[in-house]
Amino acid sequence: MIPFDYRRAIDVDSAVAAATANPRAAYLGGGTNVVDHMKLGITGPGMLVDITGLPLDEIKELPDGRLRIGATVRNSDLAADPLIRRRYPVLSQALLAGASGQLRNLATTGGNLLQRTRCVYFQNVTTPCNKREPGSGCSALEGYTRYHAILGASADCVAVHPSDMAVAMAALDAVVVVTGVHGERSIPLRDFHRLPGREPERDTVLDHGELIIAVELPALPARARSSYRKVRDRASYAFALVSVAAVLELEIPENRGTVGAHPAQPPGPALIKDIRLALGGVAHKPWRASRAEEFLRGKEAVEENFRRAAEEELDSAATLRDNAFKVPMSRNTIVAVLRDLTAAQAGKEQQR
Amino acid sequence: MDINGAPNEEQPRPGQCLRTFLREQGLLGVKKGCDGGDCGACTVHVDGKPVHSCLYPAVRAQGRSITTVEGLAGPDSLHPMQEQFLAAQGFQCGFCTAGMLMTAATFDAAQKENLPRNLKGNLCRCTGYAAIEDAVCGVSTGQSGGKQQLGDNVPAPAGREIVTGRARYTLDVPAAELPGLLHMKLVRSPHPHARIRSVDASAALLLPGVRAVFTHLDAPGQLFSTAQHELYTDDPDDTRVLDSVVRFIGQRVAAVVADSVAEAEAGVRAVAVDYELLEAVFDPELAVLPGAPTVHCDKDAALARIVSPRENVVAELHPELGDVTAGFREADVIHEKVYRTQRVQHVSLETHASIAYFEDDRAQSDGAQSDGGQSDGSQSDGGQSESRFGANGPSEAGTGAANFAGRLVVRSSTQTPFLTRRSLCRVFNLPEDRIRVVAGRVGGGFGGKQEMLTEDVVVLAALRLRRPVQLEFTRSEQFTAATTRHPFRIRLKAGARRDGTLTALQVDVLTNTGAYGNHAPGVMFHGCGESLAVYLCPNKKVDARAVYTNTVPSGAFRGYGLSQMIFAVESAIDELAADIGMDPMEFRRRNIIRRGDPMLSSHPEPADDVLYGSYGLDQCIELVADALARGRERYLTAGLAELGPDWVQGTGTALSMIDTVPPRGHFAHSRLCLLPDGGYRVDVGTAEFGNGTTTVHAQLAATALGTRADRVQVRQADTDLIVHDTGAFGSTGTVVAGKATLAAAQELAGRIRNLAAELSGVPAEQCVLGPDAVDCAGTLIALAELNRHAEDRGESLESEGRWHGSPRSVAFNVHGFAVAVNTGTGELRILQSVQAADAGVVVNPRQCRGQIEGGIAQALGAALYEEVRIGADGRVETDILRQYHIPTFADVPRSEVYFADTTDSLGPLGAKSMSESPFNPVAPALANAVRNATGLRFSELPLARDRIYLGLREAERAADLAAAREEQESADGRRRARA
Ligand SMILES: Cc1cc2nc3c(=O)[nH]c(=O)nc-3n(C[C@H](O)[C@H](O)[C@H](O)COP(=O)(O)OP(=O)(O)OC[C@H]3O[C@@H](n4cnc5c(N)ncnc54)[C@H](O)[C@@H]3O)c2cc1C
Ligand code: SF4
Ligand code: FES
Ligand code: FES
Repeated sequence: MIPFDYRRAIDVDSAVAAATANPRAAYLGGGTNVVDHMKLGITGPGMLVDITGLPLDEIKELPDGRLRIGATVRNSDLAADPLIRRRYPVLSQALLAGASGQLRNLATTGGNLLQRTRCVYFQNVTTPCNKREPGSGCSALEGYTRYHAILGASADCVAVHPSDMAVAMAALDAVVVVTGVHGERSIPLRDFHRLPGREPERDTVLDHGELIIAVELPALPARARSSYRKVRDRASYAFALVSVAAVLELEIPENRGTVGAHPAQPPGPALIKDIRLALGGVAHKPWRASRAEEFLRGKEAVEENFRRAAEEELDSAATLRDNAFKVPMSRNTIVAVLRDLTAAQAGKEQQR
Repeated sequence: MDINGAPNEEQPRPGQCLRTFLREQGLLGVKKGCDGGDCGACTVHVDGKPVHSCLYPAVRAQGRSITTVEGLAGPDSLHPMQEQFLAAQGFQCGFCTAGMLMTAATFDAAQKENLPRNLKGNLCRCTGYAAIEDAVCGVSTGQSGGKQQLGDNVPAPAGREIVTGRARYTLDVPAAELPGLLHMKLVRSPHPHARIRSVDASAALLLPGVRAVFTHLDAPGQLFSTAQHELYTDDPDDTRVLDSVVRFIGQRVAAVVADSVAEAEAGVRAVAVDYELLEAVFDPELAVLPGAPTVHCDKDAALARIVSPRENVVAELHPELGDVTAGFREADVIHEKVYRTQRVQHVSLETHASIAYFEDDRAQSDGAQSDGGQSDGSQSDGGQSESRFGANGPSEAGTGAANFAGRLVVRSSTQTPFLTRRSLCRVFNLPEDRIRVVAGRVGGGFGGKQEMLTEDVVVLAALRLRRPVQLEFTRSEQFTAATTRHPFRIRLKAGARRDGTLTALQVDVLTNTGAYGNHAPGVMFHGCGESLAVYLCPNKKVDARAVYTNTVPSGAFRGYGLSQMIFAVESAIDELAADIGMDPMEFRRRNIIRRGDPMLSSHPEPADDVLYGSYGLDQCIELVADALARGRERYLTAGLAELGPDWVQGTGTALSMIDTVPPRGHFAHSRLCLLPDGGYRVDVGTAEFGNGTTTVHAQLAATALGTRADRVQVRQADTDLIVHDTGAFGSTGTVVAGKATLAAAQELAGRIRNLAAELSGVPAEQCVLGPDAVDCAGTLIALAELNRHAEDRGESLESEGRWHGSPRSVAFNVHGFAVAVNTGTGELRILQSVQAADAGVVVNPRQCRGQIEGGIAQALGAALYEEVRIGADGRVETDILRQYHIPTFADVPRSEVYFADTTDSLGPLGAKSMSESPFNPVAPALANAVRNATGLRFSELPLARDRIYLGLREAERAADLAAAREEQESADGRRRARA
């Protein structure tokens, strides 16, 4: 590793000031991504500002029911938090689906959002890559693209965002709170990561020196159910080929159990009151499937609709040499996740 | 910071990670398997929580408390998790163990419930995780007591060292023992094929700490092969320590030696190389076409032992048995298909590494003659003359190779210390008494370390610099510049009659040996051997070629060609059975060789020294068939048979045969002696890398000497101990080296008995050896006393044993799977995995089972997703563990393992080998199960999820098309009928 200056931040303002002043500074969260990249020679920050000593490690319930997750809360603590597990199972599941226990003990909320792509060519300093070295070319386009994007890619970069956690947060309408020398701002997670366009070197809308201080999750309706599913090569410890995070709220028709004219009539299918769907492993950012959501709202929660919604969303998919399989794989995974969520919820409601 | 309970004031260097810092503090139990958070070998506790120390900046640990494996045990007792790892022997090579233990030691009961999730940050390449699961869950698998002889679950003698982090692997040498140690890093070629015009090291030599830069101008001219075999003529001489032509991306170009690894790395970046680019070829099918670029056209075919350098062919084989054309005429069904196997890497957790140093540092720094390398005329093309020597100056560095005092010691991660010594002496033109090769504990081999990949270049540097020099491969170098399994392209044609008789078997094989021919002939010959010989078929024909390409070299890997061929042959057998509507097991039963049948691969003459020392294939088949039937029953009664509408299920099997010893001689030599305390010591040549031979030697000796295995010390893997040993490969640890040890033990037992008879006056036949004394018809004479007697007479109670590896026997494995495939997503679930093995008398059942479980796990990785991918430019793309996935705990199903009941007349005390072969039948059994479930034949490995998925979609489309066509036809028919 290239030697670097190490500074332990004592408060937010001085951390931000120090990092902003030095163009080669980077924050050090858990270090599981940035240290790895320093070893691989992908990045060589001259100064690391360690933020894990800052008082940003709390998970707090806000008076209006939102949940505020500090930027340095460890992934392991977040996944295990009782409130998270009860209210946002999709998030807990996504965290546990990613990395390993040892890594989650170190990895932070902020660092996880900012982890960089796992594109092989990005990680190999001997091959051209626009993200690592703007203008040098994209090796993936000519190379092995099994893991690359099918949605929202550009001619300059076809990488995907690797985070599982961020996909869940996208489906939860999370908001990222950041602070910089010009003050604090809140960025909806769906706008936080960028599509590559002509500037693939920029993963997010963050400016140099801006510090993530928290992620806020809005309260979910009491009946909403959520879950996360990750499809990968190995049974565990591999980045997603495709992943789906879904938050589903159903309306169960009221005709059930009525004594009278049609006692034997089975209940009709539930209606989709609200749905939020995000995909991982398919794009440069966690991909909110808005078109599918729009299609599904108010419709019956049946497999045929799930499939059509998925197809609607994937209509704009553009595949590369090796990743065409991701389109049907995404579709099937969306269908399976929604089917299981519907069954679980319908089952629960009937028991009541 | 506080380390293992003691305060530590040492300041980490800027940029240092916690792992290297801890190792510098002497905590050598902290291992490195990847340096990137993938493997978990470096796991330590920071304030009680397990973290990967390779990703943890050391400065950050200040003010915290660190625990390493060395600090896990209490002052006078082991940590319970350490005890559990001993009780279940949850390790083989042990390189992953410290990390596993550190992770598992923090688990509460709930975490132990979900090991697939909680152990996913720790990889093990040896065990297949079954023994690790037992260990973490506190299951004890060895019955205590027993005589600790043949057939007992004797624990590995190194167990305690392993679980406490004290076992010394190759680079676990405390800094104080090697003062002045220098580090080497290699400049590697960015081009797949190029001639080196010049190397400019001047900038590198100006950097702080850089001591020297070596290039092809410094290297001996002697060509050799990195492959290590008893006869070096088995492999082509096509390699130089440093060559003036590079033939794959990643080949060594120059070696930079510096005071530290970081300085050597900086030096590597500063070396400027001028290349003349040459045309390259990556695809073996293209490499054999006329006009293709040639990889080794500069070689003399006869001298280098390359069949045809002009055509890129290293070796070839074209025998025919009977008449296949006639055989196919007789057939009712014929199956024809092209099968392909991919490149896979060994991923032993310890990478290749070695250290060369002088045993006795009395070297004089005079002598100015050049070594052999300088006289190589072929190098004059470079023509550069910059100083290649750094701080030490040319007078010291230029010292002639043979002109050093003391001996050069090479400590290496090798499976073949004796052969490596021989190769080093050949390359550097040194007599064998000038070099000693030793191996510490080896962190996994699997064939990858039957190769000389680091030793030659560190020896070059050590000889020139007169200083100890170390080279350690990174994980990326393992992928880009070590070796892989040979990819095979097999065009197979097979025919059978409806009655279930195999009539003809024909293969056309192309193997890709990469840029160098190490193991190319052997792998090809072996692959086409037992895979075909196991079937009794009168007509067989093989056309095989091993071909050079400008890609990373292939080499030896568990199975040695057989797994590739068996994948094709066993798939084809399944297809033929399906075509004639016969159960595939039944089809196999009808066509396999039975005891006494000649074993003919495709040569009309059998190998004259392969005999049926025993035969258990029939038993293995029935064991697997029965287990699969029981499994189905279990599933039905448990109500698990119905998985849902998307799932289809099936079963599949495959078999394999292997000769217990490689051909043309495999030599072993053991020395045994009685120690003054009545224990014994045996010196053997083979290295221990988790294959378990140490225990086997101790058990065999103990059985012959009437003692317990723990009274037999084993010293190994040091060229000073014995005369010669071919090495631990080709599954020979038990059947060759073990046989030498057994012979030594039997001889020594006889001599002890005679001496006891003499002293007691009781006839020798009535003297019975026991653990402490000889029982002479009721009178006990202590072994210690016998030893004193012998000494008084100026005799010593010692013996030697030798074995030359011939005649050889055959061993068998049969594997069976029950699987379910999700037709929507392509997901493959293994419902049951069964392997039956014919290992003769099983010396140590737990250990043998561990070999089988580990072999299955490795084979599953290769069958399902492992693949070293080469890009269009010839570059290895999967060069870190995150890109190249090996099985994690969650990926490996628990397999049922059964043993056939046989006793081998050729092996030691009836034993046969069982280390490579469990790998071989796994992939075809899986492919056959998928075929059975889906109706689809996958003829290419790996059976990755997207491949299954696409196969299913394609079949669907084809079915849709067929249906549409049928529809169309019937509509046409109706129209016609109407008209
Ligand atoms: C072997 C391995 C396997 C993995 N598998 C998975 C997986 O399956 N799924 C998955 O989702 N992830 C996976 N990961 C990634 C892991 O989750 C991330 O490395 C981790 O979340 C990053 O968090 P960190 O705190 O360690 O980040 P750091 O490495 O500390 O930081 C990452 C980046 O964020 C910046 N940064 C950190 N905190 C802040 C902040 N508060 N404000 C502004 N900038 C900040 C840093 O400067 C740096 O650029 C894996 C990682 C490894 C090494
Ligand atoms: S896909 Fe993006 S990250 Fe990958 S090589 Fe191309 S530019 Fe680089
Ligand atoms: S060496 Fe740290 S995880 Fe592999
Ligand atoms: S014992 Fe686990 S890697 Fe060897």
